[in-house]
Amino acid sequence: MKENVTSTMVFILLLFLNIRLLNGESPPGKPIISKCRSPEKETFTCWWKPGTNGGLPTNYTLTYYKEGENIIYECPDYNTSGPNSCYFNKKYTNLWTIYVIRVNATNNMGSNASDPRFVDVAYIVEPNPPQNISLEVKQPEDRKPYLWIKWFPPALVDITSGWLILQYEVRLKPENAAEWEVHFAGQQTHFKILSLYPGQKYFVQARCKPDHGFWSKWSPVTSIEIPSDINMSDTTMWIFVAILSAVICLVMVWAVALKSYSMMTCIFPPVPGPKIKGFDSHLLERGKTEELLGAFGCQDFPPTSDSEDLLVEFLEVDDSEDQQLMPAFSKEYPGQPVKSRRLDLDNDSGHGSCDSPSFLSEKCEGPWANPPTFHTPEVIKKLENLEANITCTWDPQTKSTKDKILYFHANGFRSSTWPLPQPTQHNPRSPYHSIAEVCKLAEDPRAALATVLHKASKDALKSSKTTETGEEKKAVEQMEVESFTSKTGQDTAWMLPQENASFISAKPLDYVEIHKVNKDGALSLTPKQKESIDQTEKPRTLEIIKEYAKVARVMENNILVLMPDPRAQNIALFEESAKAAPLSFQQNQAEKDMACFPTTPSNFRLQQDR
Amino acid sequence: MDSKRQAGSLLLLLLMSNLLLCKNVASEPICPNRSGCQVSLRELFDRAIILSHYIHSLSSEIFQEFDAQYSQGPGFFTQAISMCHTASISTPAGKEQAQQIQQKDFVILVIHLLGSWTKPLSHLITEARRLPKAPDALIAKATEIQEQNQRLLEGLKKIGKLVDPEIIDNGNYAVWLGLPSLQSNDLQSLLFAYHNLFRCLRRDTHKVDNYLKFLKCQIAYDGSC
Repeated sequence: MKENVTSTMVFILLLFLNIRLLNGESPPGKPIISKCRSPEKETFTCWWKPGTNGGLPTNYTLTYYKEGENIIYECPDYNTSGPNSCYFNKKYTNLWTIYVIRVNATNNMGSNASDPRFVDVAYIVEPNPPQNISLEVKQPEDRKPYLWIKWFPPALVDITSGWLILQYEVRLKPENAAEWEVHFAGQQTHFKILSLYPGQKYFVQARCKPDHGFWSKWSPVTSIEIPSDINMSDTTMWIFVAILSAVICLVMVWAVALKSYSMMTCIFPPVPGPKIKGFDSHLLERGKTEELLGAFGCQDFPPTSDSEDLLVEFLEVDDSEDQQLMPAFSKEYPGQPVKSRRLDLDNDSGHGSCDSPSFLSEKCEGPWANPPTFHTPEVIKKLENLEANITCTWDPQTKSTKDKILYFHANGFRSSTWPLPQPTQHNPRSPYHSIAEVCKLAEDPRAALATVLHKASKDALKSSKTTETGEEKKAVEQMEVESFTSKTGQDTAWMLPQENASFISAKPLDYVEIHKVNKDGALSLTPKQKESIDQTEKPRTLEIIKEYAKVARVMENNILVLMPDPRAQNIALFEESAKAAPLSFQQNQAEKDMACFPTTPSNFRLQQDR
Repeated sequence: MDSKRQAGSLLLLLLMSNLLLCKNVASEPICPNRSGCQVSLRELFDRAIILSHYIHSLSSEIFQEFDAQYSQGPGFFTQAISMCHTASISTPAGKEQAQQIQQKDFVILVIHLLGSWTKPLSHLITEARRLPKAPDALIAKATEIQEQNQRLLEGLKKIGKLVDPEIIDNGNYAVWLGLPSLQSNDLQSLLFAYHNLFRCLRRDTHKVDNYLKFLKCQIAYDGSC
């Protein structure tokens, strides 16, 4: 029975509830505190959003407690700030204190409380917008017109006490523009706008912010119409600018016109055409190839140390047997210079004119400047000794004397002349000595000569000096020896100890050319006159050419005395020399030049390098 | 005889009332004699306000960065709220209360508030290395705050001398006992301790900034800025 009663009771209750539920009634939804704000740092307001009310009238209450206190308070004012709000006036507002606020929603069915919200009033300050914005277009005399914007701080804020400090911002735009032009105004309550378009309508707004807080909303829009007749531009300034720029343009045009050519060359420099030095294209047109090729002479091509290697070649001459010269010679030429270290038998050795008789000309002075070292120690030693004695420098005088030095010129064979530039062992040394001696001569002829005399190569040198007059070599040498000892302070070419003093002074050393080797193995030597490429001088040389092919005797200082071959072969000589002249200096140095070599093999040996 | 007694008592009354009336309740004007005093006071206040504004900006940044970096969920740090060590210094909580405080007392108040943070800041700088997640920026800002705090303190003492030559800084600062909490081994309690410290720092620097801006208008501009 009881069970029946309880069950029916439960059933009825459930019915009741169901009926109620069917009506849509439920406890209220959870409210949410949306915002808490203080407009002036003296009061604050909190707003909440209600949840579902559950179909029944719902009552909302706001409760709070402060940090460090246990008392729970209820909202003092629900009305001032509108519905769903709670206003805390000055009495209830404590800065720098945390308020824990909750909102309760209650209806017949139940209640619901929001999440607690922690509020510190000092950090929720958001003022109202500035008010009473006034706009005015001012046009002072002699100045640009501007828009003058003025406003007032929001009503509730107390500026004078300094409790709240506000900063302002202003924005404006013409009626049809899309973007606002924002200006920060600081703590002042006015602003000046200078850039305006006449005849436009402008919209202006302002807002403010506390020093540590949130920006207010923008104030309502204020508008103003800029009159069309205001003079925005400063015409006088523009006229001045226009005149100045015109003047500058004129000046620039004038300057450009004056220097147009130099500017053009500066901007577009003329491109030089190709040009070969010494090459005259007109000759090519005319067909004069010889002159053309002549221009390719060894102008910049003095054989230096490299060519010295090529030029140097030693002929080894044994003093005891003249005939050995021949085999030595012949061996030399078959084709491959065996020992020739620096022998270049090729016609196109590239020595150019440095091997030619014209070598002595000024253009080929390089080799003279640095005589190479040779592998004969004695020679080198003597060279060095000599060098030590030399104090004077090369001057034109000495250079000129160089020209007079005779070449030994091997003719008819692929013989090379004396490598003039570098005196090979002895012969080359001779020229070297000669130069040194000449140099010395300028200062102290006798002393220089004396020192030179005692060198072995001196003999060779002496022998190489032949007289231009063509006197007998023997006599020349004898005289040389005598002259060296007996001559006093005469500025004589040490080479020419002839009675002919003029000869000595005027004619320094000449080279002797190896004209050819006779069939019986004798060298025929001819004094080489100063070679000139000019063919017109050939007749002159012809007269002077003497062939020294016969050894007269051997002197005490191991000097070979040669004498001219009485068999007159001048004509033949001339021809050959004429032919050989261009060729001779181009090559190989196999010196067959034998005139006057000291017989001591150690001193003076023409050694052919193989 | 009665008239004489009456006259005597009247005189006494008059004297008494005069004495009472003559007792000046209104505050004496600051900078009475020296002409440059007013100007230098404004300059001193302007400099002080610049410093206090800057210090509060830094403190706000530290607080927000710490909250963002170390929070372990929404409302995590709401439980961390505890009393600040400077609560013993009674400070005005509103404008009306601030207007009722004597100016020189106000200055002393601000000096005490500033001086109470010297030790906690130095401890904070040394102990903050224990924090996880490389708190270098945080330490740098705290160091900067400490520096500027010292400068502000010196400036305030000068202002105090100008406001009242007899002002005495008795060094009665609030005592801070939170060092053990900064050295805690428990991460949560450690984080709570730091959070509370930063919250209190932000609050006190805001107070100082607010009070100085208020005092400038009151003292240097005679109540109307």
